[in-house]
Amino acid sequence: MAAATQAPPAAVVDPGVAPGGGATARTLKAFKATPATYAVLLVVSAVFFVPLILMVSIALSSDQTSAQNAFTVIPTEFLWSNFSTVFTATGLPVGRFVLNSVVIATLSAVGQVLSSSLVGYAFARLRAPGKNVMFVVVLATMMIPAQITMIPQFLLFKELGWVNTYLPLIVPSFFSNAFNVFLVRQFVSRIPSEMDEAAQVDGLGYFGIYRRIVLPMMWPILTAIAIFTLTHAWGDFMGPLIYLNSEEMMPLALGLQYMTSTSNAMQLPPWNLVMVGSIMLTLPMIVVYYLGQKYLYEMNVSVGSAGVK
Amino acid sequence: MAADLGAVLGAARAQGSRRTGGRRAARLPRPKLSRRGRTEALFFWLFISPWLVGFVGFLLGPMIASVYISLTEWDSFTPPVFVGLDNYVQALTGDPVFWKALWNTFYYAAISVPLGLAVGLWLANLLNKRVRGRKFFRTMIYLPTLVPLVATAMVFKMVLAPSGPLNDLLGVLGVQGPNWLLDPLWVKPALVVLSAWGAGSATVLLLSAMNGIPREFYEAAEIDGAGPFRQFWSITFPQITPIIFFNLIMGLIGAFQIFSQVYILTQGGPDNASQMMVPLLFDQAFGFYHFGYASAVAWLLFVVIIGFTALAFRTSRRWVFYETEVR
Repeated sequence: MAAATQAPPAAVVDPGVAPGGGATARTLKAFKATPATYAVLLVVSAVFFVPLILMVSIALSSDQTSAQNAFTVIPTEFLWSNFSTVFTATGLPVGRFVLNSVVIATLSAVGQVLSSSLVGYAFARLRAPGKNVMFVVVLATMMIPAQITMIPQFLLFKELGWVNTYLPLIVPSFFSNAFNVFLVRQFVSRIPSEMDEAAQVDGLGYFGIYRRIVLPMMWPILTAIAIFTLTHAWGDFMGPLIYLNSEEMMPLALGLQYMTSTSNAMQLPPWNLVMVGSIMLTLPMIVVYYLGQKYLYEMNVSVGSAGVK
Repeated sequence: MAADLGAVLGAARAQGSRRTGGRRAARLPRPKLSRRGRTEALFFWLFISPWLVGFVGFLLGPMIASVYISLTEWDSFTPPVFVGLDNYVQALTGDPVFWKALWNTFYYAAISVPLGLAVGLWLANLLNKRVRGRKFFRTMIYLPTLVPLVATAMVFKMVLAPSGPLNDLLGVLGVQGPNWLLDPLWVKPALVVLSAWGAGSATVLLLSAMNGIPREFYEAAEIDGAGPFRQFWSITFPQITPIIFFNLIMGLIGAFQIFSQVYILTQGGPDNASQMMVPLLFDQAFGFYHFGYASAVAWLLFVVIIGFTALAFRTSRRWVFYETEVR
């Protein structure tokens, strides 16, 4: 479950103050911020920021600085042109890398949203003998580490002639995954079912209820699932490493690794361009998170305590 | 994604206790399905068919295949040769690299997971105070977790360089920093440093959990004269144990599966000092085409992960408190 690294954000209310208390409320001792609190937070923030600023600093440095490994943490050179030379100077199809990443991440997200909404809806709303057993199976599959199925899956996809295509990275998404099914199921369980019942009386079938009634109400959780899948597929390294061997098919995450492996052992990788690539890999994730954090939080609230049911 | 899996864990435990209580409840005979019920059931199976097909095709089938492959010697070009448990015996008794990788993975998990939790707990507790600019600090600490692992590995190659920023910082403190990635002694701590940079995700989760603790608890404690430390250990910590437990489980599972950092930064070197279970499995499978041996390693890894998860669950009864649970 590598996707579990993405944590939803927290809505932070001021804890030391009674609700509605405003500035006049007394701060409890446990919540008093001392100068030491600020000192620690400042130092930690600075330390956490160093790798990020170093990434930018190296990305903006000249080829000479890069070749001599003479980087500074605070940027001294500002070669913004590196952001265009990266597409031509490495001898690798960097533009293609980006395109591949976009295609793989987008289609994976579409697949997960379609399939897990359908499956999750069925687990939340439809009654059938054997449903509970199936749901336990869904939960149990979360325990199986991907490494167990990695080799047989590779052999299967190789047999199907899918190696060096997008398919092994995309197709499994269209069959949903246990965690997303669980999320949708929990979310839908909390939507009152009067609407479906009314629709049923009016003669809408099960698919109609899903498509017209429940699906439109599911979008907060589906947005969250789309974001998870997008981030996971975008950053995935092992999958592309196993399945893709031509540069034309590689996503950026794998292409970056290729950029660092130079043909000549004496030759240093173009670190400035590698860092430009790293920024291109990172920025979309920050944007996606920024745009989507509201939904991630909503999801957290709606699903958080539902497991007790 | 997080508190929800916490919910899964909670549900799993609730299921456990329900089972003992439910023994008394008599089982009702299953009612015969009406025609409408049959249609509904049919639609249920139809709707879950994507998951069902995926489960059989991409999980159950491959799992069974994996068991069989692990009992063979197979390079995928020539027919597999059945060798019984030889691969497992080979891993456990004949392959020093396996034990080294297992030990390295333990080392990494045993240090990085508690360290990440401790740092997260510490930072969350600081951010939970009435800090001006909390949003800024929180963003600074959370931002690294948004950086994809490959980009993180790239930049840490520079951070951990002999004359990189980390050693500069140590130099300021008067410590001569090691050559992190090329020193067998320091390469695992280097990977731990990289993992600590991601402490922000635990911080944010723990912070939101701390936010949910009723203020009255602290008021009462203050009247009783409890100091900040006592309040932390007697109120804050017990109240957020479910989230800590969740982070512990997810952290352990993730740490045992460490791959990309090792593959990109060290390739398992120097002298296998940073070789871990998944990179070993990957090399065996896709480097040497030892599919049988690699599958055996995968199952051994699975046993290790299940073992540790079970251990964590067992001990959890002693230190994890669920609000909904009656004790």
